[in-house]
Amino acid sequence: MAQTTHSPSAPAARSGPIGWITENSLAGMARRRALLGYLFILPSLLGVLVFTAGPVIASFGLSLYQWNIIDPPTFIGLDNYERLANDTRVLQSFVTTGQFVVLAVSLQLVVSLLLAMGVQSLKQTGLRYVFRTAYFLPLLTSAASISIVLAYMFHQDFGVINYYLGKVGVARIPWLNSSTWAMLAIVLTYVWQQIGFTFIVFLGGLSGISRDVLEAADLDGATGWRRFWDITLPMLSPTLLFAAVIAVIGALQVFAEPFVMTNGGPGDATRTVVMMIYESAFSFLQIGYGSAIAVLLFVVILLVTALQFRLSNKWVFYQ
Amino acid sequence: MSQAASQESTIATTAHRSLVLNRLGLLIRVTLLLAVAIIMLAPIVYALVTSLRSPVESFTLPPKWIPTEADWSSYRSVFTTIPFEQYIVNSTVVTLAIVIGQLITSALAGYAFARLKFPGRELCFWIILATLMIPLQATIIPVFVLIKELGLSNTRASLVLPALSSAFGAFLLRQYFLRIPDDFEEAALLEGANQWEIFWSIYLPLAKPGLSVLAILTFNVYWNEFLRPLIFLQSIDKFTLPLGLVNLQGYLGTGSISVVLAGVIVSLLPVLVVYLVGQRYLVEGIMMGGLKG
Amino acid sequence: MAEPTGRINRRNLLLTAGAGLSSLAIGSATTPAIAAAPAFLRQEQTLRIAFEGTAVDPLDQQLADGFKEQFPDANIEFIPIQGTDWNEYFAKVLTMIASGTAPDIMSVATEGTQLFASQGLSTPLDDYVKRDQAELEEYFADVHPSLVEAMMYEGSLYQLPRDFNAANMYINTTLFEEHGIDYPATDWDKDTFYQIARTLTAENGGPPFGYGWTNRLWGSWMPWIFVNDSNLLTEERAPGGEWLWDAFYADADDTVQRGGGWRWEAPQANAPANVEALEFVVQMAQEGITPSVSEGGGDLLQGFFTSNSLGMTPAGGFWAGGLNEAGMTPDAFDVQYFPKWKSQRHQFGTAGYVILESSQAKDLAWEFLKYVVSKPAMELSFGGNFSTPVRRSMLTAEQYSPTGPQHWEVFYGTLDEHPETAPIPAPPQANEMTSIFMRYTGLALTFSQSPQEALDSMQAELEELFAQEG
Repeated sequence: MAQTTHSPSAPAARSGPIGWITENSLAGMARRRALLGYLFILPSLLGVLVFTAGPVIASFGLSLYQWNIIDPPTFIGLDNYERLANDTRVLQSFVTTGQFVVLAVSLQLVVSLLLAMGVQSLKQTGLRYVFRTAYFLPLLTSAASISIVLAYMFHQDFGVINYYLGKVGVARIPWLNSSTWAMLAIVLTYVWQQIGFTFIVFLGGLSGISRDVLEAADLDGATGWRRFWDITLPMLSPTLLFAAVIAVIGALQVFAEPFVMTNGGPGDATRTVVMMIYESAFSFLQIGYGSAIAVLLFVVILLVTALQFRLSNKWVFYQ
Repeated sequence: MSQAASQESTIATTAHRSLVLNRLGLLIRVTLLLAVAIIMLAPIVYALVTSLRSPVESFTLPPKWIPTEADWSSYRSVFTTIPFEQYIVNSTVVTLAIVIGQLITSALAGYAFARLKFPGRELCFWIILATLMIPLQATIIPVFVLIKELGLSNTRASLVLPALSSAFGAFLLRQYFLRIPDDFEEAALLEGANQWEIFWSIYLPLAKPGLSVLAILTFNVYWNEFLRPLIFLQSIDKFTLPLGLVNLQGYLGTGSISVVLAGVIVSLLPVLVVYLVGQRYLVEGIMMGGLKG
Repeated sequence: MAEPTGRINRRNLLLTAGAGLSSLAIGSATTPAIAAAPAFLRQEQTLRIAFEGTAVDPLDQQLADGFKEQFPDANIEFIPIQGTDWNEYFAKVLTMIASGTAPDIMSVATEGTQLFASQGLSTPLDDYVKRDQAELEEYFADVHPSLVEAMMYEGSLYQLPRDFNAANMYINTTLFEEHGIDYPATDWDKDTFYQIARTLTAENGGPPFGYGWTNRLWGSWMPWIFVNDSNLLTEERAPGGEWLWDAFYADADDTVQRGGGWRWEAPQANAPANVEALEFVVQMAQEGITPSVSEGGGDLLQGFFTSNSLGMTPAGGFWAGGLNEAGMTPDAFDVQYFPKWKSQRHQFGTAGYVILESSQAKDLAWEFLKYVVSKPAMELSFGGNFSTPVRRSMLTAEQYSPTGPQHWEVFYGTLDEHPETAPIPAPPQANEMTSIFMRYTGLALTFSQSPQEALDSMQAELEELFAQEG
């Protein structure tokens, strides 16, 4: 038998899979890294597949059944979707949610950007810290419970908001009792709570804009508005995209605020898609139908996000 | 006056003028920011102030923003009217379990995506990333069914198990690990460290800011979440805080507003503490997410 | 004065009581003697009892202990389940049933009686009642037949009613006195009511407001539908039920021809009487007599009432304890029958325990049902006046003097004096029906639709709902 030529200090080579892994070579090292890689991502990947990817597919499946929990499910094919296509209430909820998203996200992005710019411009770190905490604080509250507070404040007859509006001569606004105003009240509540997040995002983005570029712009005579429009904004665009995408995805799923404040009312004026899913699946125990609505929502979110990324080519500028 | 001198004086005047304008601008800016800050804090202050008044007084206008005398009975009621301590325990157990779980799974996954090469790495990353776009509502019904099949209905485990892994966490920590230079690894390899040691002793500690950010954000999200507990939990003793608080309003709403608001304030405190402890990492963390897009 | 303790819940069956509790020994001589427990009951059995509430408190434990004295081998497990409304509570219990952790007994209110019965989720009690007729005579004699009838479906009885609440008119005596208005007569009519409401409302718009209510099924503007001699759905009595009426109410001077339970077969939302009723409440809202009507819960309403910002509101016996707990003295409020329109027919809701069909311990469950409606057990639970017990004999001056109201006789008088008083409409589709009802009520009250339009649309949707397979 031929003698192996391994150096005395190296362990004897083993055969099979173990050997393949423990092989003392560059290739072996690469394999060990790969194995470690798979092991490391296993929990996350598994969790995501089982609890997110899998269920989405399962939702598709469930939507083909009729099921009320008590009795076994019955297969009904695409009937749920047919019903969905003719269900004005559900379709209306998509429109309502769309209106909400447009109002809430634009308000949220504009205000948080302005706030971030304002705070960024302050030299005193003490002041910055104070404002940062103040703007972030609402985010720390639970949407459901703080909506209770805001429902009290928005009350037409006993709420503080109308009280102060009355002081400046504005008649009592039927915040939660009018189809138009209720939407605004929900938007304001939602934006109030969520502003902290995009505010911090913009703060980070602004601080990332290199000083040199700004100074160069100053020297060239670009100041104020021009500087903002032509320099700051483009440099901020990746951050803007990130903030916009996150904000839109979040707003499309709004639930707690309308659920607690108006219960979707008056009528269906503030009934969002998620509320319809909840109502169908958990109030009326129509699991299949609720799943169909959820599937539709998922598709909408995908399309909207894809659209945002597609459009971003036109206005986002990467360094 | 010589040309140089007049130029100088023009510059001086301009400089003086812009200094004044700056000061004015600063004043205006601070005032506006302050006004917004007041609006932002108003509802929380309102909750605090109303909770310190007796229910009968809660409804009188004009509202008193500064309580003349603090009536703590509402806070006591919170703990006697509903099993508040139980809610706090439940929320704490669930949230901590989720935070710890996510830190572990995300650190591992983030490191792997950033520093370990293996076939299919990019594909796996994009799969995980794609799930970020899936709304909770699209999955909640099947997860509910799955939980039921697993026999975990109405348990705290039903909240924890699905939340142990996080696409957002994996993404965030990947960004963190990407920014740490390779030098550390090279040096460690020369010393004969194996892959696990490199991760555990070198890169993980360096990623502390990222871990802190994830911890804070995750804590905040899950401490306050409402929809999943609403659907997964049925019996009182399992409820988490937000659920318990909404139900503090009472069946047919006969609960007292002061008590409800006292509950809101109390449930705000733990999150506030977590935030204050870790908030300096927060800006960095969200910044990193923002920049990498 | 009652200390702030447990939750206030109009149909909560196991409640914490206030300080005005008389301590009673359970299992005293007043409990009907039970012969040595039959063999099947001597095995260890656990009864899981679900009810709407926030917590299991010492009183529940006392109740359980009392039961165990008679049935030493029984284990009682209380499961408080809470939802912000009946719908939610019910959905959660269904989830428990679906996931195999079903309770044996659960409290069910009028809204759910027919849903459970029609789906075969609850067990008919007929055989048990017939078997134990002698024992139950005392109970039925103390309970008005209207309440029993509300718990029947297609000839069978599914629950023993335990508490009820009719919508009477609560009055803020402070505001009344301020305006020099006397306590109204028992047959005061709608116009008198309207005048009072206007007088109580502040000149340039409230607060204070004359009359307020919240948007839900029981007690919203439903009482006005009833006193206008109408209903949201058509009413009919199912045949059958003689076995019960002959056994227990043959001697009672019950003027009404009872049947086997209610049938609400078809919607009539836009009947002229209903439109009239809706127009009336909408008019009051337009004139600023009614503050903005919010959905669901009445916590705001109670707050306004207790702070003298609201003069009158529909509520039941369940408010007595609640107002007291919120700080109102017994003489700060009072109650009167709902004003008379075409009739003075009131609406009520009632609740009792149901034995789930899936239970493995039905016989023991039935013993518990009987136990829990026995007088000592009920006296233990209803001390705080957070709901109205179905036992006539329990409504006494002594019972209500700690909390008020002064005219507590109105509560049971609603049944005795006005036998045509009926339960709120609660067909098997009650959940969806309530949702539709509330939505269009909201639209009408926010003036987005005229009452006629709102009720026409409501009718259309209800017709669609009733046309579907149950």
